[in-house]
Amino acid sequence: MTSDKSDGEQRSEQVFFEDPAVDRLMGVVLALATEHYVLLDRVHVLERRLSAAGLVPDAEAHAAEHADAAALAEALFRPLLGVQQARGAAGRFSLARTARTEENPQ
Amino acid sequence: MTAETSFDSAQRFILAAKGFWTTQLYTNLREQYGERCAAQGVEPTTVPQVAAVAEDLTVYRYFAWLERHLQIAKYSGRYGLAHYYREHADEVLKDLDGAAGQSSNLELDPALRMPSYYVATDIHQHPGGVWSEPTAGLVYQHGARSTTPLLGASHGDLHARFTDKILEGGRPARVLDLACGFGKSTMPFASKLPEASIRGIDLAAPCLKLAASNATKAGLTNVSFAQRDASNPGFADASFDLVTSTMFLHEIPLKVLDRVLDECFRLLEPGGRMVHLDFWHMPDPFTRFLHYGHGRRNNEPYMQPLAELDLPKTLAAKGFVDIRIEPFSETADVDLAAVKAWRFPWTYISARKPA
Ligand SMILES: C[S@@+](CC[C@H](N)C(=O)[O-])C[C@H]1O[C@@H](n2cnc3c(N)ncnc32)[C@H](O)[C@@H]1O
Repeated sequence: MTSDKSDGEQRSEQVFFEDPAVDRLMGVVLALATEHYVLLDRVHVLERRLSAAGLVPDAEAHAAEHADAAALAEALFRPLLGVQQARGAAGRFSLARTARTEENPQ
Repeated sequence: MTAETSFDSAQRFILAAKGFWTTQLYTNLREQYGERCAAQGVEPTTVPQVAAVAEDLTVYRYFAWLERHLQIAKYSGRYGLAHYYREHADEVLKDLDGAAGQSSNLELDPALRMPSYYVATDIHQHPGGVWSEPTAGLVYQHGARSTTPLLGASHGDLHARFTDKILEGGRPARVLDLACGFGKSTMPFASKLPEASIRGIDLAAPCLKLAASNATKAGLTNVSFAQRDASNPGFADASFDLVTSTMFLHEIPLKVLDRVLDECFRLLEPGGRMVHLDFWHMPDPFTRFLHYGHGRRNNEPYMQPLAELDLPKTLAAKGFVDIRIEPFSETADVDLAAVKAWRFPWTYISARKPA
């Protein structure tokens, strides 16, 4: 395999998070997710072939590939928005605060 | 070798991820920024003021990270465009060189010196830039299919609409397209002005070869391409009645831009028009903040200097008249104020040499 061109000098990547570990870990996540989608796509192709041959039922149930990709991207990155899926105690988790009230029981 | 299907799948996923970034992540960032401004009782008007509010929003960090890294994933790594075209170089270049070998619509200059600003940065995070590898033109062409998210599959729209808008002001006979790349901005002039003579120039030989090959395949005989520096393009004075460019001004340092504008003036016949499509009109400071960030994150270091330049004054000082600088919509039927998704601040920049 050829390597990408900027070799020679080692340049350090841009950092967006307070701890660059997060930047790097995000890279791992994105690479994994891409591999996951590539595999998923392969599986779907196989399923379609198998179903055409009458070996598995209902491959048509799979939406178009673009919709698949969009759905995975949505599922993967939704957590980045930090929005609750069910209402409840919000914000940074801590049990250090003891005073509970009727309106704020958490 | 990377399987064709895996490459396609991975690129499709990266594009879908960009879709999420353009819509949901961007919208969420705007909301959180708005809420934080309200909570702090501030109304930032400058980029540093916006940065003070926005930069430590967690969602902004993800927005910034993804903007940079989705582009890295698109171009680099095992499913990246650069790698894919390197692996397929033999077959794809045979076609291209074959076409370039017999065409009279291409003039290359192997002795042309690539300017230092040009070789110092891999523009758009394209490894090696658009000029240093034989496959670079094909990589750029492939990548350009998905640079304007609003357009989806119809990226061609942008250039056609830009050309149409220029032609509303008259039909030029001799057109020069500066920094034409692989000819995407040149081709609409060639097809919409069959009676005119169209020239495209660029520094990048791999892009120019592709441009010439594309024109030949499209049966366009009124257009030719040459490897020349837009800040020193040659041609006699008053050779053109339209000098144009698309996404070029933000790719050069201001001192090079200064020379390019002088050349535009020199090359135009009296009364001739200069029209550029670029990014400049940003009344909203948050848009400006994201745009400067985009320049930094996408390896486009001259985006911010151009956006900060007093363009009307600069053009007037060069002697241009009828200066018009206005927002430009990249697709038909879009109410720009109502667009919720991220988009580039496209700007139509037009001026005339006095008659
Ligand atoms: C973003 S591309 C735009 C290409 C084309 N106009 C289009 O719309 O598809 C910018 C182009 O500017 C070219 N370029 C940069 N500096 C240049 C210079 N000094 N003279 C000529 N071309 C230049 C690059 O090689 C690249 O092809």
